[in-house]
Amino acid sequence: MDWTLVVSLVFLGCAAEVTVFASPDANETQSHQPQNVYHDITVTRNKIVTAQFECYQKIMKGTNHFTKAGPVCNRTWDGWLCWDDTEPGVVSQQHCPDYFQDFDPTELVSKICTASGQWFMHPDSNRTWTNYTRCNEHTNEGRMTAMNLFYLALIGHGLSLTSLFISLAIFFHFKSLSCQRITLHKNLFFSFVLNSIITIIWLTAVANNQELVQRNPTGCKVSQFIHLYLFGCNYFWMLCEGIYLHTLIVVAVFAEKQHLMWYYLLGWGFPLIPATIHAIARSYYYNDNCWISSNTSLLYIIHGPICAALLVNLFFLLNIVRVLITKLKVTHQAESSLYMKAVRATLILVPLLGIQYVLLPYKPEGRVSSEIYDYIMHILMHYQGLLVATIFCFFNGEVQGVLRRHWNQYRIQFGSTLAHSDALRSASYTASSITEVQGCYSIDSHTEHLNGKSCHDLDASILKSENTYA
Amino acid sequence: MDKMNLILQSLFCCCLLTTVLPSVDSAKLNLSQVFKKSAWLQSRTRRDLNSLSALSEAETASFVRPEDVKDSMIPHSSTDISIRVKRSKNFVNQSRKPGCLLGTCTVHDLAHRIHLYDRQSKTGSAPADKISAQGYGRRRRSLPERQLNLQWEGNRLRPVWISTSSRLHRLEALLKRT
Repeated sequence: MDWTLVVSLVFLGCAAEVTVFASPDANETQSHQPQNVYHDITVTRNKIVTAQFECYQKIMKGTNHFTKAGPVCNRTWDGWLCWDDTEPGVVSQQHCPDYFQDFDPTELVSKICTASGQWFMHPDSNRTWTNYTRCNEHTNEGRMTAMNLFYLALIGHGLSLTSLFISLAIFFHFKSLSCQRITLHKNLFFSFVLNSIITIIWLTAVANNQELVQRNPTGCKVSQFIHLYLFGCNYFWMLCEGIYLHTLIVVAVFAEKQHLMWYYLLGWGFPLIPATIHAIARSYYYNDNCWISSNTSLLYIIHGPICAALLVNLFFLLNIVRVLITKLKVTHQAESSLYMKAVRATLILVPLLGIQYVLLPYKPEGRVSSEIYDYIMHILMHYQGLLVATIFCFFNGEVQGVLRRHWNQYRIQFGSTLAHSDALRSASYTASSITEVQGCYSIDSHTEHLNGKSCHDLDASILKSENTYA
Repeated sequence: MDKMNLILQSLFCCCLLTTVLPSVDSAKLNLSQVFKKSAWLQSRTRRDLNSLSALSEAETASFVRPEDVKDSMIPHSSTDISIRVKRSKNFVNQSRKPGCLLGTCTVHDLAHRIHLYDRQSKTGSAPADKISAQGYGRRRRSLPERQLNLQWEGNRLRPVWISTSSRLHRLEALLKRT
């Protein structure tokens, strides 16, 4: 019953989306040409010639609209752009043309009409001059920033991959750790790993490879599809973690074992829908080489659901913190330590749930501020795997306990030269770590205990990891 | 259990909604662009393009610059010289590039930028001398004094030198009249 409901909803959504996109299809094709023409000299020259032709047409057809007498800077073609009649003392401005790759079309070209009604002459050359210098002023800085971010991303993903592989190895090797929460962690980590791998491949092999993009094989579009799918998976597994924690702590006070099937469906299944819709839409409306361009609003098909998932996670986080504070208050702890615990729990959960993206949602307008924003966002994005693996595996009390126990066992087995006292100490370690591990077991198997132990349960799931490095 | 299912189902609905909403939005945008651009294309084909007949239709379509699109919003695009005030009103809209501005989109933005800079290093930098003091901004391009033209005389071709200065004067006179 539930299944059919969900499946029908999914199909309904798909159908709606497809029809929405199909409607303007008829006369769309010739008008919305993406820029997959590769800029070379001839294209640039053609553009300039076309602009010049139109400018002269405009100059000849246009009527004189300045009725008042007095000097006026006449309309003119300056070699790259067309300028209208301008009143004296006015600085006329236009956006930079897109003739050259290093021209930024968001920057402005300016041409000064002097008070005497003459276009500004450059003092050096004594020729009429238009100020095009701002068009490529920041190009080199922009290139530097892009390369910095590129290496930042590669290092971040490399570190993330290493730590995630170690974490996954620990989770899979020590069977005593396995419980639902760890299963979710495994899936999240796995999605991080896949996302890192495909991102590295995409950045190094496709974005940095001119020949491949120019050749435009189907393979690179497929890899962009996979990239977007895995990107979505990553954020939807964060959503799954959020739902799980929220259900565990806030909703299900009388907890049962949750059905992980839904989580798998949401985490691995759902991102296929936006990725597929994006691929279809992109092939119809913005079919650029390798789908590498980011100048299309079609990307919102991928990022809209991701943003929604993050917003839901923000709500979950706030609710979890609220419940945490109320439950800690019941135990009559000191105010200060209570809030410290709440703040710590929040900070731990932020990277797990991806809340950082909600806190800085939009890219600012200015050049400097957008550059700072870029750096922050890229650091948060590419190092998130490392952070999550560190907090939820290496700093996790259970994991540390298990590791310590196994290390001591190993020492007892092979270290025959060990002193007797050492062995004793390690035995006591083992005992303590077993009790620690039981926190996880209790959530899993002894559900009847949880009824009265919801607060302990809360501590087990959130505070466990922070206690260890407090 | 039921409660959890309910939550999950409502989440599915939310996700679907957000998937559909932006695309409806962009579809609307596309539709309005279709109307604008078809009007622009009509006005464009009406013009005499003899001298540029080499340019194919597809190429002209790719030469759509933001200014052109804006201009075509005014009913008579050929007499758009009187709308300078309006153009400055459209300024802010123009400077905003289409594309995803959400924080999570930065990764696509980075890939695109790396690709552009990589391409730029190989082709298509602007000539520095034309931006400098010696560069663009002169009134007119200089034309050669005389041009060699081929003329039919009887049934054979004959080269004829034509002075361009007279044509230049004619053009200047035309420009002065306007």
